[in-house]
Amino acid sequence: MSLPKISRVPASRLLSAVHDPRWPLRSAAPLAVPKRALTQSGYRRPGQPREDKPPWQRIKFDFSKGLEGITKHFKLLRQEFSDRLVGPEGKPIIEHMLEQNRVIWEFRGPDSLQEWTLSSDREIGGQSEIHLKLGKNNETCFLYGTLQSAPPRDGETRYSGYCSMRSKQPLVSFDRKKHHDWSSFNTLHLRIRGDGRPWMVNIAAESYFTHQKDDLYSYFLYTRGGPYWQDVKIPFSKFFLTHRGRIQDNQHPLWLDKVNTIGFTLGDKADGPFQLEIDFIGVCKDYAHTEDFAYEVYKRNPEV
Amino acid sequence: MNPYILTILLFAMGLGTTITFASSHWLLAWMGLEINTLAILPLMCQSHHPRAVEATIKYFLTQATAAAMLLFASITNAWITGQWNLEFMSYSLPTTLVTVALALKIGLAPLHAWMPEVLQGLDLTTGLILSTWQKLAPFCLLLQINPSNTSLLLILGLASTLVGGWGGLNQNQLRKILAYSSIAHLGWMILVLQFFPSLTLLTLLMYFVMTFSLFISFKVNNSTTINSLSMSWSKTPIISSMVPFILLSLGGLPPLSGFMPKWLILQELTKQSLAPLATLAALSALLSLYFYLRISYAMTLTMSPNTLLNALPWRLPSNQHTLPLAITTSLTICLLPLTPAITALLTL
Repeated sequence: MSLPKISRVPASRLLSAVHDPRWPLRSAAPLAVPKRALTQSGYRRPGQPREDKPPWQRIKFDFSKGLEGITKHFKLLRQEFSDRLVGPEGKPIIEHMLEQNRVIWEFRGPDSLQEWTLSSDREIGGQSEIHLKLGKNNETCFLYGTLQSAPPRDGETRYSGYCSMRSKQPLVSFDRKKHHDWSSFNTLHLRIRGDGRPWMVNIAAESYFTHQKDDLYSYFLYTRGGPYWQDVKIPFSKFFLTHRGRIQDNQHPLWLDKVNTIGFTLGDKADGPFQLEIDFIGVCKDYAHTEDFAYEVYKRNPEV
Repeated sequence: MNPYILTILLFAMGLGTTITFASSHWLLAWMGLEINTLAILPLMCQSHHPRAVEATIKYFLTQATAAAMLLFASITNAWITGQWNLEFMSYSLPTTLVTVALALKIGLAPLHAWMPEVLQGLDLTTGLILSTWQKLAPFCLLLQINPSNTSLLLILGLASTLVGGWGGLNQNQLRKILAYSSIAHLGWMILVLQFFPSLTLLTLLMYFVMTFSLFISFKVNNSTTINSLSMSWSKTPIISSMVPFILLSLGGLPPLSGFMPKWLILQELTKQSLAPLATLAALSALLSLYFYLRISYAMTLTMSPNTLLNALPWRLPSNQHTLPLAITTSLTICLLPLTPAITALLTL
């Protein structure tokens, strides 16, 4: 004779009539507000819900992609070793000692556009547009677009209307950062053709502390609208320190031995189309310019 | 900087080193090292530039790690032997740990990675203090402990000479070159530490004199890159003509003073039947000599083709105190004939 089956747990159908079996406690049921994502990375546009996908669902795993990456990085590593045999940065030391001008970016083919990143307030919900293409005869780069200062209606953003182009951080093998060493030079030389708008040139140097990652050294770039090219020479001593767009009280000169990126920003609150054509961006050494830093740092509360 | 604060900090640095010199107890020695480290930190970041602060933080982290390791090793030794005395380290683990900690303190390879970055962030005077005064206290401790692992010191020494030579080869920045030069010279000092400690002291003092001359020469020219040195002949012609001698002395070429420690070290290593090691060390000195020669090439032996484009700088009388530079340059160049007297002093 078999004993009757004693079930200690009520049948699941019964349970589901009471509450969801996945949530043993009523108070732990999911609420209307989305819960915080497991990892916070990337920019969240204000007003948008947070992304809830865990990292392993966000990355696309692919064998051929992995193989490509391995070959690319080992090639770069081999290149690094052979460059070191030639001299610093792959050039013989005699070149470093003798050079007075160096062209860092020149736009002579579609590959040159890959070194630049564009951004505008479209990322935060605005309506500005920015595009980059090669100019006539593939000799220059042509940055154009439309600026719109109307702020996005998300309840958080108050101001808007910016477009910018920034160079990508140079990388060596295995995605390690490489820095531009411009310590032999003291002036930035640009050949541009604008439309009369005032731009800002922003240089980002390598920083150590996380709260310095938005530190930029800026200066103005006033363009003439004419059909003639404009040679702009800005000494590095003129660049002042800003953090997230705000000029800092404690100023210090830009150190040129570890420069990461250069960028051009337009934010002059004049809505409408804009154009900027750049022939090359280089650095040069002006022997007549002996200034270390253009801004005197006074003691704001001197002891009497 | 406020002169009172500067006085306090300099005195504190002196105090720290003196405490370490005078101590026979590990805790007191550690305390002296800590006072030394903490006193130099405000001097390093006095310009408030982010790179100077970065250098200060990196220096603090490495020195604190080394001091913690040193304290741990001395406590372990006290636990095992019951002795806190510096000379009575008889077990291999604490002794090895102390050696590694002191190697991190002074920047021996393979624990040297902080040195070029830290020196690059500092101005030349503070860099000089870092390269010279800050090495005294750790060396004082290294000279007093009995090394249990003979090969460890030899490996540290040889690695430092090689890294110091190879690392400095592709540098444009003078402070990084000086950092690698420091690493190489420390390697030479460590090679002979267990065989002839007085020779280590001699090498250290000779290195101080030579590197002082070089740092101050660069400071007078206000130059931090090799390119800026090429203009120095018009500003300070006498210093420009003396600097190649200082550099060749650092490279260890006779008949300059820098040859003396290298010669005596090679002789001692050969006496200890370590001729292959001596050969490797001598060959690594060639690497260092290459970048010393490159600096003298840029500064004195060649005229930069760019001089015609700039206005000649006004040759105003300098306000800098060059008497210490004159004394140390003379010592850097002319001390080799006194080798017998110095050797006799060593063996006293």
